[in-house]
Amino acid sequence: MANDEINFTDFIASSIHDMKNSLNIQVSSLETIALECRDRGDHETFEKLGLMIYEANRMNANLIQLLSLYKFGQSTYPMDIAEHVVLDVIEEAMLQNKTLMDFKGLQVSVDCDPDCSWYLDRDLVTGILVNALNNAYKYTDKKIRVVAQVVNHMLELRVEDDGRGYPPNMLYDGAVTAPKGVNFSSGSTGLGFHFASRAAAMHKSGQGQGTLTIENGGRFGGGCFVVRLP
Amino acid sequence: MAMTLQQAKVLVIDDFQGMRTMLRNIARDMGVAQADTAGNGREAIQQLRQGNYDVVICDYNLGPGPNGQQVLEEARHDRLIGVSTIWIMVTAEKTSDMVMGAAEVKPDDYVLKPINHAMLESRLTKLIARKNSLHGIETAIKARDYAAAIAQCDEQLKAQPAAPQELLRVKSDLLLTTGAYAAAKAVFEAVLATRNVPWARTGLGKVLFYNREFGAAKAVFQQVLADNRMYMEASDWLVKTLEAQGEFEQAQEVLLDAVKLSPNSSARQKTLGDVAYRNGALDVAQSAFEKTIKITEHSARKNPAVFAGLAKVFSDKNEPEGALKVLDQSRKTFKDNAEAALQIALAESVVYKGMGQADKAQAALAGAEEAMKAMGGKVHHETQLEMAKSLFKLGEKDRASQMLQDIVKNNHENADISRQVQAIFESQGLGEEGQVLIQKSRDEVVGINNQGVTLAKTGDFEGGIKLLRQALEQMPNSETVMMNLCGLLLGSMNRSGKDGALAEEARALLERVRELNPDNKKRQDYVTALERIVSN
Repeated sequence: MANDEINFTDFIASSIHDMKNSLNIQVSSLETIALECRDRGDHETFEKLGLMIYEANRMNANLIQLLSLYKFGQSTYPMDIAEHVVLDVIEEAMLQNKTLMDFKGLQVSVDCDPDCSWYLDRDLVTGILVNALNNAYKYTDKKIRVVAQVVNHMLELRVEDDGRGYPPNMLYDGAVTAPKGVNFSSGSTGLGFHFASRAAAMHKSGQGQGTLTIENGGRFGGGCFVVRLP
Repeated sequence: MAMTLQQAKVLVIDDFQGMRTMLRNIARDMGVAQADTAGNGREAIQQLRQGNYDVVICDYNLGPGPNGQQVLEEARHDRLIGVSTIWIMVTAEKTSDMVMGAAEVKPDDYVLKPINHAMLESRLTKLIARKNSLHGIETAIKARDYAAAIAQCDEQLKAQPAAPQELLRVKSDLLLTTGAYAAAKAVFEAVLATRNVPWARTGLGKVLFYNREFGAAKAVFQQVLADNRMYMEASDWLVKTLEAQGEFEQAQEVLLDAVKLSPNSSARQKTLGDVAYRNGALDVAQSAFEKTIKITEHSARKNPAVFAGLAKVFSDKNEPEGALKVLDQSRKTFKDNAEAALQIALAESVVYKGMGQADKAQAALAGAEEAMKAMGGKVHHETQLEMAKSLFKLGEKDRASQMLQDIVKNNHENADISRQVQAIFESQGLGEEGQVLIQKSRDEVVGINNQGVTLAKTGDFEGGIKLLRQALEQMPNSETVMMNLCGLLLGSMNRSGKDGALAEEARALLERVRELNPDNKKRQDYVTALERIVSN
């Protein structure tokens, strides 16, 4: 049966490749059109396009997350732990969402020592942050803050917003370890959290294992998405 | 020379029209000097041949024909791109083949889709900065001036408060290359003291391997694999270690696991084919060789030895037609390739022998011997070993034995080759006789070398040089004889002043050693000494 599974992975991978090409071109074209709209003062269309880009980005993030989760399950995800400048990783995640943040006029601030470097899988951590920023984008009012600091020998990455925060039923013990089930009314499958939690846990070292927690508070009193990596 | 993004000539390679246009537009928006596109691998190679590109943005998946990795390999192999060229591989998902050292040639970076302007520009800017800072080291490595490369690493490491891992990795690789195992070990241990990273752990295993502590090396590589199943470099080294221990069945198991996880490395598939053939697992060997041929179909890594290996598998399976067909295919694939012609002829002789056609077998063998003579001393020892095997199969015991002794003489310090020679003798039921012959051949070379060096020590450089020149005629491939002769030539000039003819002879020897073994540790010292003598 192993053969069928490998072929299935190939099949998923090539389909995803195809879908991502389409999405990539779609987003790129939408961005170009949107900028044209803004330049000629058509703010209504500009904002509508912003929503479309947001959804297309979400779709893309979901594709990556599904494929990664599949590979975690098969133990075939090629973990590539290397030393990276943390600020570079944060900036890259922000660049992926930059147009989006600009559309909504959100202020995203970063608080990270430029000399801070850490051992991590760049693609996974970028994926976690993009996911967190996408989430914050949806719930925030005006401000988002990304903080990176070393606390108790762990790298702590926080994405804080100034929205209403997470509903109490999501916060029963803080640690996010499994999807809370599919909620069809809100359209949330918990995929993003599940991915982020598994991706954090893929980071292991003698000192421990990565975790994801969600809480309310932070500097802006909104939702806080916190990843700790050993 | 430092480069900026605005000066860069960029080539975009993507089979998908929409992506191609998008990437080119992004490049143009960045303000690069020039942005060209190619729609498939072949077109890309054409473009690379014509233009001097600073940056290549290449999709991994290029539809039918070569993929991005194969285009990169061919470009590096044919020197269409230099060390300063930045190659970015674009991919929809991360795979182990791209990340985990499955590929022998790697891009400078890979980016996951989706790609946008801001992200690509930020990556490129960082890559250019990195390239500029590593430029001196890479140039020294390319010139095989390892001492200078290590010195530059140290200089850069001193200038930075937190040693960047990349630099440590480059430095440790260089230390292993030059045989400075203790120093390499110190680097690995320092890294491991702060963090358990697989490359440093694997590095410790390599040090153990080079120190011939195979048992301990094996344990280290197995541990790395237990922690990171996808870390293919550890798997490749585990195989090497098991081979060194003579554990071929185990090596085959490890390889089978590895190709399941990462099936697209041609080198690994070929090793599996060789090991399986050796173990008599003909079906496994056949499948591995066939996959190797398929993977390298569009690549610069095509290897005639793989075709010859597959032909022998068919021959052993009693399917001579299949074998001859493969050899025919090889002949078409490798036109005007002397080494390939030799290997084809050798394999043919074995196949015909198996078919009971002694005449044709003899004729093929005669052709092989002629080809070998025509190539001078430049026949790879693997091919020579194959030749000896064929001679045995054709009943030419004396000539086979002579050939094996020559191989040992030419490589008397290489334990691995001696072991292979011994294995061939054993397969003929000549184990004891072989052992004696190997020892005798080794002693002979060592004796001549010692005699030459002793003569030189007593001041008789001329006598020593004469002796070693004679020895070299009998052992045209012996690195040791060449280096010793070179040492005497240098010594003689040091004493009696420079001499055009001697300098030329020394230079030719050093060039020959470089061809045979670019990593010879003493060579660089001799090159420097020769330069000093000549410039005096």
